[in-house]
Amino acid sequence: MLVIENIVTAYGKIEALRGVSMEAQEGRITCLLGPNGAGKTTLMYTVAGILHARRGSVRLQGQELVGKPSSEIVRRGLALVPENRLTFPEVSVRENLIAGAYLRLTRDKAGVAEDLERQLVRFPRLRERINQDAGTLSGGEQQMLAVARALMARPRILLMDEPSLGLAPLVVEEIFRTIHELNAEGVTVLLVEQNAHMALQIAHHFYLLEQGRITFSGVPGALQEDEVIHRAYLGGSGASSH
Amino acid sequence: MSDYLIGVLSNIGMIAFLALSAYVLLVTGSISFGQQAYFAISAYGSGIATAMWGWPLWLGMLWGAALAGLAAALVAVPTARLHGLYFAVATLAFAEMVRLLLQMLTWQIDVDGTLIGPMGSEGFREIRYIYAHDISAVQFMLLIYGLLGLVVGGLTLMERTRLGLALRMIGEDEIPAEALGVNVAACKIFAAALSGIIAGIGGALYAHLITYIEPALFNVMLGVHGLAYGLIGGLGTAVGPLLGVVLDIGFLESVRAFAGYRMIVFGGLVALLLIVRPRGLLDEVTVHRIVRRLIRSDHVAH
Ligand SMILES: Nc1ncnc2c1ncn2[C@@H]1O[C@H](COP(=O)(O)OP(=O)(O)OP(=O)(O)O)[C@@H](O)[C@H]1O
Ligand SMILES: [Mg+2]
Repeated sequence: MLVIENIVTAYGKIEALRGVSMEAQEGRITCLLGPNGAGKTTLMYTVAGILHARRGSVRLQGQELVGKPSSEIVRRGLALVPENRLTFPEVSVRENLIAGAYLRLTRDKAGVAEDLERQLVRFPRLRERINQDAGTLSGGEQQMLAVARALMARPRILLMDEPSLGLAPLVVEEIFRTIHELNAEGVTVLLVEQNAHMALQIAHHFYLLEQGRITFSGVPGALQEDEVIHRAYLGGSGASSH
Repeated sequence: MSDYLIGVLSNIGMIAFLALSAYVLLVTGSISFGQQAYFAISAYGSGIATAMWGWPLWLGMLWGAALAGLAAALVAVPTARLHGLYFAVATLAFAEMVRLLLQMLTWQIDVDGTLIGPMGSEGFREIRYIYAHDISAVQFMLLIYGLLGLVVGGLTLMERTRLGLALRMIGEDEIPAEALGVNVAACKIFAAALSGIIAGIGGALYAHLITYIEPALFNVMLGVHGLAYGLIGGLGTAVGPLLGVVLDIGFLESVRAFAGYRMIVFGGLVALLLIVRPRGLLDEVTVHRIVRRLIRSDHVAH
């Protein structure tokens, strides 16, 4: 569904992605693991049109995304839940959710209202806090809000950048359950994680990204879990460095 | 109404445009120390149009505000990617450049036997349109408040639209805004142009009310005041900056006891407010509460 080929993205002279190729198959959960600074967020931003690739191609259902503005990419069915920058803190939960449907706000009021209701059924805790500023929510609630907001765009593929970051284990489990449910409903998921243990439980396929390059691609179980964990946290060439 | 009161109210009204122009940028998360440049560009532009070219006031004001809007949009193209201190310094540098250029601008033409036009740092005299056309101080004040009402009303309506939501999203965090499909660069250039036009309306009114302008009037302190009004008044609604202006000009400047100490009191007030109410008197939460109360009392009334 999403095919990334030889993507090179640089900040000035520094190439953060040095020819990344990977794929997220329709209906599956694909996981991208890698240590800090590997380039995971850079890849997500590049795919979502926030950063611009120097070279390479990203195709969503056969259509090229590189060079397209983010609005076009969202319209084609791709939504990103960014790392760390989850919500608009001084904006109410309701407006945060509505902002998720930004591109069809004026054309499809009824549809937006319907989708809003659907998200509030899925995340009842957001309904209780609907008029609160998003910044007053707990970390887990903000993560839920960010997911709900991304779903307001009716994505076919959902990109999530480290949704477990800084959350307590119980909350992380809840998030992963949600991802699993969404996937069961037919949403393709590309999940960036450092929590290899949790990610490998729900992934159908995973990649390792180290220093701007894909260094492994396979199904969970293809590598020893402790090696994956080691490489996801620390980088380096895995077993040989033990 | 006494002349004094009309003078104070007219001042409040004109400076309010500057405050609103800074507010528009504050909403999008940009702190500009250079809004006085657009005020100046339009003051000179509209003054040249009416006093030198003999244009009617409305056309001169339109021209001045359009020039200011255009200048602001052009400045926004390279600065839209700057944040925080970098944006503040860039806008300040631009405004100082404008002021220095105005100091060098000498261009006078013969209008009915007198030489009229800007004379560098000596300033630009005889912008006499409203006296030549017998527009009274009260009428001009009504013009100021009429236009102010339009701008505040327009901004309030805009805040409820998708564009308004986009500007606030950008003000909070550009990355998720972009991720949701907002064209951040275009929105920022639009906001800058709008802020330039609003400052420009104020500048044109100012030039015609006081009839004499000079580059030194448009120094950084003017911009700092415009910015401070938004910070004091609050970022929850376009009415916030007006409250800031009324507090400063209407209260501090008018109360005799503060004479000579106004800047000290003003500075202290800004510092105090930023500590106790970082998002101003009328911040989002307060506005939300007031609006809900209004809606409720509306229900009761029906
Ligand atoms: N705005 C930037 N300017 C310059 N370099 C950057 C910028 N953002 C990221 N980098 C660099 O690019 C590389 C990849 O960063 P990126 O944020 O994509 O890593 P990541 O895999 O998401 O890491 P983390 O797990 O910490 O989120 C790092 O070396 C980082 O220092
Ligand atoms: Mg990251």
